[in-house]
Amino acid sequence: MEIFFQSLISGILIGGVYALIGIGLTIIFGVMRVINFAHGELLMLGMYATYFLHAVFHIDPFVSIVITIPLMFLYGAILQKIFINRILDALPQNQILLTIGLGLIMSNAVMLAFTSDYKILTTTYSSSSVTLFGISLSTPLMISFAITAVITAALYWFLLKTDTGQAIRATAQDREAARLMGINVKRMSIIAFGLGSALAATAGALISPTYYIFPQVGSAFTLKAFVITVLGGMGSVVGATLGGVLIGVAESTGGVYFGSGWKEVVVFVLFLLVLLFKPAGLFGKSRT
Amino acid sequence: MMEAQTIPKPIIPRFPSLKFILRAVAVLIVAALFFVPNYVEDTYILHMMILIFINVVMGSSWNILGGYTGQYSVGHAAYFGAGAYTTMLLLQYKQVAPWYGVWVGAAAALVVAVIIGSICFRLRGPYFVLASIAVAEIFRVATLNLKDITNGAEGVLITEIPPLVIGGRLITDWASKVPFYYIGLVFALLIIGVTWLVRNSKLGYYFQAIREDQDAAHSLGIGLTFYKNVALAISAIFTSLAGSLYAVYVGFIDPSTVLGLDVSVQIVIICIIGGIGTITGPVVGAVLLVPLSEALRSNMITDLLIKVGIVGEETRMGLFLKEHLSQAHVLIYGILVVVTILYMPAGIVGFVRRMTARKARA
Repeated sequence: MEIFFQSLISGILIGGVYALIGIGLTIIFGVMRVINFAHGELLMLGMYATYFLHAVFHIDPFVSIVITIPLMFLYGAILQKIFINRILDALPQNQILLTIGLGLIMSNAVMLAFTSDYKILTTTYSSSSVTLFGISLSTPLMISFAITAVITAALYWFLLKTDTGQAIRATAQDREAARLMGINVKRMSIIAFGLGSALAATAGALISPTYYIFPQVGSAFTLKAFVITVLGGMGSVVGATLGGVLIGVAESTGGVYFGSGWKEVVVFVLFLLVLLFKPAGLFGKSRT
Repeated sequence: MMEAQTIPKPIIPRFPSLKFILRAVAVLIVAALFFVPNYVEDTYILHMMILIFINVVMGSSWNILGGYTGQYSVGHAAYFGAGAYTTMLLLQYKQVAPWYGVWVGAAAALVVAVIIGSICFRLRGPYFVLASIAVAEIFRVATLNLKDITNGAEGVLITEIPPLVIGGRLITDWASKVPFYYIGLVFALLIIGVTWLVRNSKLGYYFQAIREDQDAAHSLGIGLTFYKNVALAISAIFTSLAGSLYAVYVGFIDPSTVLGLDVSVQIVIICIIGGIGTITGPVVGAVLLVPLSEALRSNMITDLLIKVGIVGEETRMGLFLKEHLSQAHVLIYGILVVVTILYMPAGIVGFVRRMTARKARA
C-alpha cells in the first residue's frame, strides 16, 4: 500500500508539470485549431535556457523562470506571426507537418550549437528528499509542483477575469463570432501561441533539475502533451489540468506495477482507449 | 470560360507530345539504372543509390495511403520495423535466409497493419495522425522491452548472410553492394508499378474518392474502413520490404533506427517535399533528400566550403562546421518541410506541374 501511495504522490507531483505542458497545447489548439507538434521542442528550449542561465550566470533554475517565461513568450509570438499565422486555413495535415518541420529545425539547431551530448543541471537540492508519513518526496519535484500550482492559478485568473483572457476564451469558443464582437482575433492568436510556448518552456525549466537535457528530449513530451489534451478534451483548460495529473499518476503507478520500461505503453494505451471510446475527452463536453 | 466555349480551339495533336518524351526519358533512365553497377565501381555512389531506392520504396508505399487515400499516417515506422525485425531475427537466430525472411516480414507487417487499421481508421483528421503515432510508439517501446525476443536496446547484428545458390549455381555471396543495388532497384520499380496500377484502377478511384470527401464516398456505397484497410495493407507490405532490405543491407538494427518516430516523419517528408498523390513525387523527394542529408552527414559540404575557400579549415568557423554540421543533417529536412508547406504545398512535382500548366496556357 505504501508503494501505491508513494507512486501516487510522485505521480501527482510530476503531473503538475505535465498539466502546464497540456494547458499550453490546449490553449493553442483552442484558439487556432492548430495542433502544435513542436510543443516538446519549445519545452526543450526552456530546458536549455534554464541550463545556460544556471551554468553561465549561476541563477537557480526555479528563479530563472522569470527570465525564461517572457523570453519564450516573445519567441512563441514571433513563431506565430511568421509561420503559424500563414497556415491557419491550410489542411490540418499541412499544419501538422509545418509544426513538425519547425520542431525539427529547433531540435537540430540546438544540436548544431551544443552537440547532442547530455547535459545535467545539478543544484544542491537536486537529489535531496523529504520523508513524510513514510513517503519520500523529492525536493525539486515539490518546489516545481508548488510553482506549477501558482502559475496555474494565475493563468486561471488571467483567463477568467481579465479582458484579454476572456477575449482568448471567446476566440477559442467561436473564432468568427469573436471577430464580429470586435475582438482582435489575430492578436489573440499571437498571445495564445506566446502563452503556450511560455508554459511549455516553464515546464521545461521546472523539470530541468531532475531530467537529462538533450536536443531530442522534446518529442517524448510532444506525445505526452497530446495524450494529456486529448484526455482532457481538446481545447479545455480544466481538462488539460486534470489530464496532466492523471497522466502523471498513470505513468508512475504503471511504472511501479508493469516495470518502468512499460510506463509509456500504459499511457499510450490509455490514450487510444480515450480516443476510441470518448473522443471528446474524459472531461470534455461532446462537441458535434 | 464562355469565350473559350464559343470559339473552340482546334485540337492539334502535338507529336511527339511532352508526355511521350517524358515517358521515353523515364524508360531510358530505368534501363540505364540496370547497367550502372557494370560501369560504376565507386562503392559510395552505389551506397547512395541503394539508400535512394530504399527511400523511394518507403515514400511510394506511404503515398498509396497518405497521398491517394488521404490518410496521413505518421506511424509508418511500425511497418518498416516489423519487416526489419522479422527478417533480422529469423536470419540471426533461426538461420532463415533473408530472401524467405522478407516475405515473413511482409506478413508480420500485414498483421500489424490489421491491428493498427482496426484501431486508427475509426478516427479522422488530426486524431488519426495522433493515433497512428501512438500505436507505432507502442510497438517501439514493446520492442525495446521484450529483450528475450528482440535483444532490446542493443539491437540485432547479423554476422553472416548465407550465399544465394540457385540450381547449384552461386548467384551471389553478398560481399559487394551490387546485389543490394539490384534488389533495391527491383523493389522501387515494383512499388512504382503497383502505384501506377492502383491509380488507374477502380481501387484507385475509390481511394481518391475517400481522400476528396469521405462522407460523399461513403454515401456512394464505398466501404470506408474496408478500402482504407486495403490501402494500408498495400502500403504496409511495401514499407516492410524497404525495412527488410535496409536491415539486411546495413546489417544492424535497433528500436530507434527502424521504429523511431524519426523514421515515420522521414517517410512523410519524402512525399511532402516531392509531392504527395503523384507517382513521381516520392522519387523526386528521395533523389533530392538522400544525397543532401548524406552530404551533410559525411561532412562533404563542409569539405566543399573549405576547398572553395569560403571557410578556412583552421578558422573557428571551419572547425565548428566540421564538428557540428554532420550531427545536424536532419536540420535540412526541417527547413525543406517548412519551405515546402509555406510556398509549394503540392510539393516539387505539383509546383513544376503548375508552372508548366501556366506556361502552356500563356
